[in-house]
Amino acid sequence: MTGPLIPMGYIPEAWNNVIAVLLGAGFGFTLEASGFSSSRKIMGTFYGYDFVVLRVFFTAAITALVGLMYFDYLGWADFSMMYVLPTYLTAAIVGGIIMGMGFAMGGYCPGTSFCAIAIGKIDALVFTTGLLIGIFAFSEAFPLVEKIYESGNLGSIKVSDSLGISDGVFTFILIIVALGMFFGATLVERKVKKVEY
Amino acid sequence: MKEEIFVSGRNIPDIDPFLNIWHWQIPIYLYLGGVAAGILFFAGLFTLLGKEKEMPATMKWAPIIAPIILVLGLFFLFLDLKHKLYFWQLYTTMRFESPMSWGAWVLMAITPLSMVWVGSYMKEMFPWWDWKFKVLNLFESWAIKNRSNIAWVMVVLAVILGIYTGILLSAFNARPLWNNSILGPLFLVSGMSTGAAVILLVSKSHYERTLMSRIDLLLIVIELFFIFHMIMGFRAGSAVQIAAASLFVGGPFTITFWVFVVLLGLLFPALLETLELRGFKVPVIIPAILILFGGLMFRFIMVEAGQITRYLY
Amino acid sequence: MEKSSEKSNWRNGTFYLNPYLGGMFLGLVLLATFYITGRGLGASGAVKNTVVTAVHTIAPRHTENSHYYNKFISTDTQPMNNWLVFEVLGVLAGALLSGILYGRLNFKTEHSPKITTKKRLIFAFSGGILFGIGSQLARGCTSGAALSGMAVLSAAGFITMMAIFGTAYIFAYVFRKNWI
Repeated sequence: MTGPLIPMGYIPEAWNNVIAVLLGAGFGFTLEASGFSSSRKIMGTFYGYDFVVLRVFFTAAITALVGLMYFDYLGWADFSMMYVLPTYLTAAIVGGIIMGMGFAMGGYCPGTSFCAIAIGKIDALVFTTGLLIGIFAFSEAFPLVEKIYESGNLGSIKVSDSLGISDGVFTFILIIVALGMFFGATLVERKVKKVEY
Repeated sequence: MKEEIFVSGRNIPDIDPFLNIWHWQIPIYLYLGGVAAGILFFAGLFTLLGKEKEMPATMKWAPIIAPIILVLGLFFLFLDLKHKLYFWQLYTTMRFESPMSWGAWVLMAITPLSMVWVGSYMKEMFPWWDWKFKVLNLFESWAIKNRSNIAWVMVVLAVILGIYTGILLSAFNARPLWNNSILGPLFLVSGMSTGAAVILLVSKSHYERTLMSRIDLLLIVIELFFIFHMIMGFRAGSAVQIAAASLFVGGPFTITFWVFVVLLGLLFPALLETLELRGFKVPVIIPAILILFGGLMFRFIMVEAGQITRYLY
Repeated sequence: MEKSSEKSNWRNGTFYLNPYLGGMFLGLVLLATFYITGRGLGASGAVKNTVVTAVHTIAPRHTENSHYYNKFISTDTQPMNNWLVFEVLGVLAGALLSGILYGRLNFKTEHSPKITTKKRLIFAFSGGILFGIGSQLARGCTSGAALSGMAVLSAAGFITMMAIFGTAYIFAYVFRKNWI
């Protein structure tokens, strides 16, 4: 069976949302068990007292990336069938900056705030309410931001292609960079005073 | 031009090809009937087992809900009737072969009985309560004295009511999804499980909650067993039955059935209850609400999907 | 004795998975998601879908005329919108399960002792609004754009990730009193 299973028709479309619940449960469980339901633990990455976000985030991205490349190599899944988020350069940067500000203020991102709500964090509930209002505001004010939203369209490009290197080489570099960051994070954690939360 | 006249017996709007006569009132009615049957069954059962003292919520507090939802359910049923003024005619006949007749008579008996039950506990629950009339006070003392007899009748009637909520559907032999004999026990077990969930919500005693959690867990396992066998039975059946089952397995009801009924309505609350019995701290409201919601969804899709299935092709 | 104290320890709310192990699990879930559905995980999309559905129910004409809403109201062309709502349902269930297992379930507002609850909630609210706006502009949040994007080497994923974390580092300094 060559993946992705649902687009290829191995699993009927009707099961898609049922599988969504199961995959989401795995997602939520791992996030919570890793400590992403605590905003102060998440924020540790930015103050150097707890780099759990950095570690989990990069390990996850690399695991999935390497896994997908192996699946593709072994013929289990077709990498080119995977949905690659299209790159709208300006929108991605501006959007990322706004999210970064929101991150530093709110201490959550949407996924982690859902996890925090599930275990009873009131600040997460307030964050998600803000999220709803922010999305509503954006949708209503769309004519004002439409230009930024549509600008810098480069299509569904891969970072390796735009850098002019092969996927394998890029992944290898990414792993080295991640390992370097993990090492650096451990050094910083040793120096920074522990914060109780 | 030569004209031809076709005569067809199939032009029956709202019945053929799809039944389209039962809307939201019926599943809610069946649901409320099931919940009430569950609550009253446990109230009666634990009276007969002599556990009145240990199970205050099962005995007194949860049964308050029973007559309310029974009347509410009957009201929804009444809303669904086309000829509302003729509802009393259900009671001019008694037909053993008709589940509707059974249901009408059982409800006729169990609704006042549940009121008597609650009434007999009124003074225990609310010490300030006063019946005002001497007759009522006499009746109350009679009810309190005869509580175990009432409990016997209530247990039997509750089981019949619970089965009836399923049999009502399975008596429709023209709808393959409904026409299977597992539906009666399945709805009974599901109703009991939702009744137990209500008791769990109301209860404050640790002993009572643990016991009801255990019972509920067992009921969920039985319910899952019935559901899977119902589907397997369909799939081993004739083409129409396979078509009926496929509504839930890949068809339009797949998501509602597997997500809200099986995953979030049965498996997940069962997991949470297991964890709670193992000593983890679980807010009881979560499994209870999930079970109640799952039960409601189950009746909705059974009534909806059943109307779509048919024999004629 | 030794064992029971250890056991109570991982139930008292202080136990967390080893971050590399947690990351690997998360990566495997993401891999499974790609393998089965051909898409990644997400979070903000579920909220967007809620907003679009709510507005569409209240004012269908308005959503049909809006350039933004009408991208998402047709369920035939965008079957994945709904998917995320179900995924988030799972996220809530999975996180609840973990919270129960590790004993982290209780109502509270978490904040630095240096600030009041009220201040924390105001900042959480403002942060949420910003995250909402930014996630729509970037077509996804930390999960949908950055994490899932990086797993398929999407350039947008890497750019969004760097923009989020880079900005967060700068603003973390500005708001340091809120956290440490």
